[in-house]
Amino acid sequence: MDHFSRKHHDPHAHVIHKPGKRLMHGIRLKYVWNKVSGHGRKGVGAALNLVSFIDFLVVTVIFLLMSFSASGEITVDKNVKLPKAENVEDIIDAPMVAVNGNQILVDGVLAGSTRAIEELGRMQKIDELFAILKNKRELWKQLQPNKPFPGVCILQVDQNVPALVVKSVFQTAAFAGYPNVSFMVGKIPSTKSE
Amino acid sequence: MGGVDVDSGGGKKRATNSDINMIPFIDLLMVTIAFLLITAVWTTNNRINADAQVPGPPDPNKELTPQTPEKVLNLHINDSEFSLVWKQGSTVVSEIKVPKNQVEVGAVKTIRYPDLAKKIEEEWKAQGGHRDPSDRKLDQCILFSDNRTPFKEIVAVLDALYSPKREIKFPDGSSKKLPVFNMTFSVR
Repeated sequence: MDHFSRKHHDPHAHVIHKPGKRLMHGIRLKYVWNKVSGHGRKGVGAALNLVSFIDFLVVTVIFLLMSFSASGEITVDKNVKLPKAENVEDIIDAPMVAVNGNQILVDGVLAGSTRAIEELGRMQKIDELFAILKNKRELWKQLQPNKPFPGVCILQVDQNVPALVVKSVFQTAAFAGYPNVSFMVGKIPSTKSE
Repeated sequence: MGGVDVDSGGGKKRATNSDINMIPFIDLLMVTIAFLLITAVWTTNNRINADAQVPGPPDPNKELTPQTPEKVLNLHINDSEFSLVWKQGSTVVSEIKVPKNQVEVGAVKTIRYPDLAKKIEEEWKAQGGHRDPSDRKLDQCILFSDNRTPFKEIVAVLDALYSPKREIKFPDGSSKKLPVFNMTFSVR
């Protein structure tokens, strides 16, 4: 560009020139290779055997697929802190009744208040809970008329809820046609050597 | 490049060998692992069984035959002790007291009663009515507790109650170790 003065600027002049000096022009490819491989010292990069790497990935995929649960996590009410036990059984698919410090919920739907039971001070049938569970039972029977009704429901009860509330919910579930009641608990590792 | 070598069997057939590109293959595996790890359920919950025995009205078509009542274990949770009472109908067969030796386990201080579990097992061995592996009926236990007892204490007692197990054979020939007792709450 220095060859052209502003006074004699020719717009049709040839503007492509022979390339001049470039940055790192004198550095050879072999130097770069040595630099990367550590100049004879131990390099940072390491060769990985592709066969064993793919084996590892396939085994991980198989393990995760086998332990994968399509049904998803069973939702526990965020206000419920479950107690823990050692002698437990696997969870089954059944209506969930959550009992926290204030409310009773069936599959997330409000079905009564624990405060009312505590204030009354004696066992009682919880009418809303009874109605919801009875409806669920009748719906199940309509959908599967040829199968015997299992009568199983699972109670998620907070660890500090008093026995009076637990017994009231338990009896109400039984009267609504769910005599096989299970309590949801966390599992603690077994101390027995079998 | 990785290759899948399948013998083409000779002749002029089209070759069945094919190369697969390793980069998308490894990408696929990585994405699958990431998906499965994200959707994995790490906390598992379990359950403890109970049974509400709600007697229905008697069948009018069936003739009732008087039967000897079975022995039932009545477990009372008191303030400082447990009492294990075996009853046959209204007759008290035996009664023992177990001191409430509470043991706290883990960081969350889970309550456990190992002494109670041991005593329940001894009591069942001495008084239990259903022991044969072909007998699928369980001995019954009725739990008596104060209305103010917190649920975690009830679960600790249930855990002790379900500690003794026996082998039960099923009609298909399989067998399983199950707790010797079935529990229900007293209704007062």
